[in-house]
Amino acid sequence: MSSQLGKVVGLLLIERFGPVVEKVGTSLYQYGSSPLLHIKKRTDLPLSKVKESLTILIKYQLVTFTTNQNENIANYSLKSERVLLMLRYPKYINMIKKKFGDTSEMIIEELLQRSYITATEALLKVHERLTKNGDNVVSFSQLKNEFVSLVNAKYLIRLPVNEDTDKPVPKLVSNEKEMHILPPIDLNLIQKFKSAENVTFPDNDIYWQVNFDRFHQDMRDKIIVSAFTKKFDENAGELIKMLLQQMYIRTEPWVDVSNPIPILEIKDLARKQKSLGQLNTFFDQYVNIIEQDHSNLIRKAGEASGGSFQIYLKEAYTQFAWEIVEQSVMEKFDTKAARIFRLVKLKQYVEPDMIQRLAMIPAKEAKRLTYQLLEENFLQIQELRKAAVGGSGPMKSFTLFHIKLDLVVRMILELCYKTLFNVMTRRNHEKITNKRIIDKKQRVDTITLGMRSQGAEEDQLAEIEEMITPPEREILERIEKTMKKLNTVELEIDDTIFLLQIYLLCH
Amino acid sequence: MNEEIATNGNATETNETENNLLELAKSNPDGISNDDIKRHMPDIPLTEITAIINKCLKNGIFDLFKTKDNLLYKYKDPSKKTMVKGADAEEKLVYKIIEEAGNKGIWIRDIRFGSNLNMTQLNKVLKSLETKKLIKCVKSVTASKKKVYMLFDLEPDSSVTGGAWYQDQDFESEFVDVLNQQCHRFLVEKLEEANTKSNGPLLARNRSYATANDVHKFISELGISKVSLTVEDIESILYTVVLDNNAERIVATNGSYVYKAVNRFLPSAGIVKTTCGICPVANRCAETGLINPKACSYFTDWLIQ
Ligand code: SF4
Repeated sequence: MSSQLGKVVGLLLIERFGPVVEKVGTSLYQYGSSPLLHIKKRTDLPLSKVKESLTILIKYQLVTFTTNQNENIANYSLKSERVLLMLRYPKYINMIKKKFGDTSEMIIEELLQRSYITATEALLKVHERLTKNGDNVVSFSQLKNEFVSLVNAKYLIRLPVNEDTDKPVPKLVSNEKEMHILPPIDLNLIQKFKSAENVTFPDNDIYWQVNFDRFHQDMRDKIIVSAFTKKFDENAGELIKMLLQQMYIRTEPWVDVSNPIPILEIKDLARKQKSLGQLNTFFDQYVNIIEQDHSNLIRKAGEASGGSFQIYLKEAYTQFAWEIVEQSVMEKFDTKAARIFRLVKLKQYVEPDMIQRLAMIPAKEAKRLTYQLLEENFLQIQELRKAAVGGSGPMKSFTLFHIKLDLVVRMILELCYKTLFNVMTRRNHEKITNKRIIDKKQRVDTITLGMRSQGAEEDQLAEIEEMITPPEREILERIEKTMKKLNTVELEIDDTIFLLQIYLLCH
Repeated sequence: MNEEIATNGNATETNETENNLLELAKSNPDGISNDDIKRHMPDIPLTEITAIINKCLKNGIFDLFKTKDNLLYKYKDPSKKTMVKGADAEEKLVYKIIEEAGNKGIWIRDIRFGSNLNMTQLNKVLKSLETKKLIKCVKSVTASKKKVYMLFDLEPDSSVTGGAWYQDQDFESEFVDVLNQQCHRFLVEKLEEANTKSNGPLLARNRSYATANDVHKFISELGISKVSLTVEDIESILYTVVLDNNAERIVATNGSYVYKAVNRFLPSAGIVKTTCGICPVANRCAETGLINPKACSYFTDWLIQ
């Protein structure tokens, strides 16, 4: 298990749930699945605290449990990958906002914050928030529609339920068929509830949670579309977008290769969109150039009904992973090292002599870079020994360089975790060192806000504002910029993590 | 040094005879006998012929061979340097080995195997031949410490010198870099032009391909190269552009390569935008200790950028 990931998980748990929960989580991370008393012993926390922490972690679905050999005891384990997803929440929220608008965004926000709630609860909560903000209040029936759309589009799924109630350790199961069944939301009852009547909702035992996998499909598709847009142009991007869209009709989302997609279907779809003029005019040509491209990600599967095409998803992840690795080599070392790296990639096994000759790098430099790459595990070495002809004389030995992509990808993933940890540590550090001034700013802001609501004069407000001196203001600006940069880069590192993870998932 | 030794004679006649004799010897690489000579130039007095032959033998233009019952004179190309007199048997032997290696040169170890001399002896011989300017030592580019010997007047083969990319055995890295950039630029411009001028993506793609000849022409016209580059040289450079992932090459219908600038799939990845992702001391960086993210100056510099 990666120690870097463990550290990041620790920081995330502290940020969100405080040090006690973190202690329990980290212990689970380090020792793997363990029963309650072991956790207590290792963490040295009172039993009640351990239980409380586990409750929180289970509620947020960061810890799961299974029966121990002794059926009366549960073993708890931490889902570290799931903890890491907390970093992605802003992305999920943003995706829904773009696709479904502000109200749906609020629904997702509620679900992410509370891990699971019933549909009725979600509607009431969002309604309440909207009313409080004084925004245009959306009717319950409209809210219901939004919720239903999210369920239909599979962004929300049902929480698994306990199968056997009489066992000491519950086993949670989710019924494939029921996952996407619409919630029974009774709008009349909601109205009654609003007018303070005592009601029982029909869905008060049906809980919903966010379906992360669905979001990840969207993220994956977006990456593929922008990759084609970048490599070819927007029209090619649009074409791929439609291919992916049609792919889902007959293909499981995470297969290695999609089922064949009839191109006529895509053509029809494109024709319906007026904005795709250029693509429509040259539709067949676009299909051609993408199919004939070196990358080979879209291949013809058959000629029937105008031809059908398959998307080679696994191959796409692999090529993306290569690009990231190549970028790493390039930035960590230089263009020459990247050239050597790609030469080894293209030739698969390369002799040292060949490197200098084909990459056109001076012998000394080529050697230095090759060995640096070797030292940092970007390259592997293989010695081949061949007995001289006739079985006498010195053995001939060849040194060959090659690349183990899986290994390099894992290494870069580690580096991503390390970088995340460093970014988060730095952010905490900046916050702590500037605590005094940040606190002051907050106090001033609260005062101003309070005074403004009491209708204070502008010059009174200005006076308060002036409590922050110009040099302080400068520092504050700098801190703000720093924080922004750290937050952005944190999300961007997560993008890299996502790409590398989908590569590893299918290898 | 290689001037026609034949012009040494005073009489024009002698000169002519000598030339005839040389021609005869040249056309019979296996050697000529006295009988052959007599048959070809019956009117020339034997004394004259003997004088010429003696001179040629002395100058090393002829080698004397003895078969079972015959003496043969063999012509030796004077452009292949001949041994001066006073060389001892060892020098001659080593010289011969080196001579056979031609302009590719021969490695000292192989000379030793061929001559059966020990290292001290061999070094002495080589030194002597070098001071006499009969042979020279050339650093081979394929391995920095590997030296090869060849005859003094030979122009080393490009496999030894590395061809256009080497100046005195030093690889001209910057020159290659400049050419790499220019080739890339050419392909990019070609791609852009194809994209703006073509009607439809297929045509645009087809127009964006360039052959090594096209690029060669462009580079020659730029006049950035002091030495004249061959199309193969440009082909090597283009391959580095391919290796840099800036171009792709495919085999055209006529079997030769064509090149085209390409874009990559991904924008710059998050991990390479941070200092830590590209940090040389990341392995030694930890929470505590001298190298740590709180005090790291790379990080600080990046933050205030
Ligand atoms: S914090 Fe500084 S030293 Fe540590 S990995 Fe990042 S850049 Fe390198």
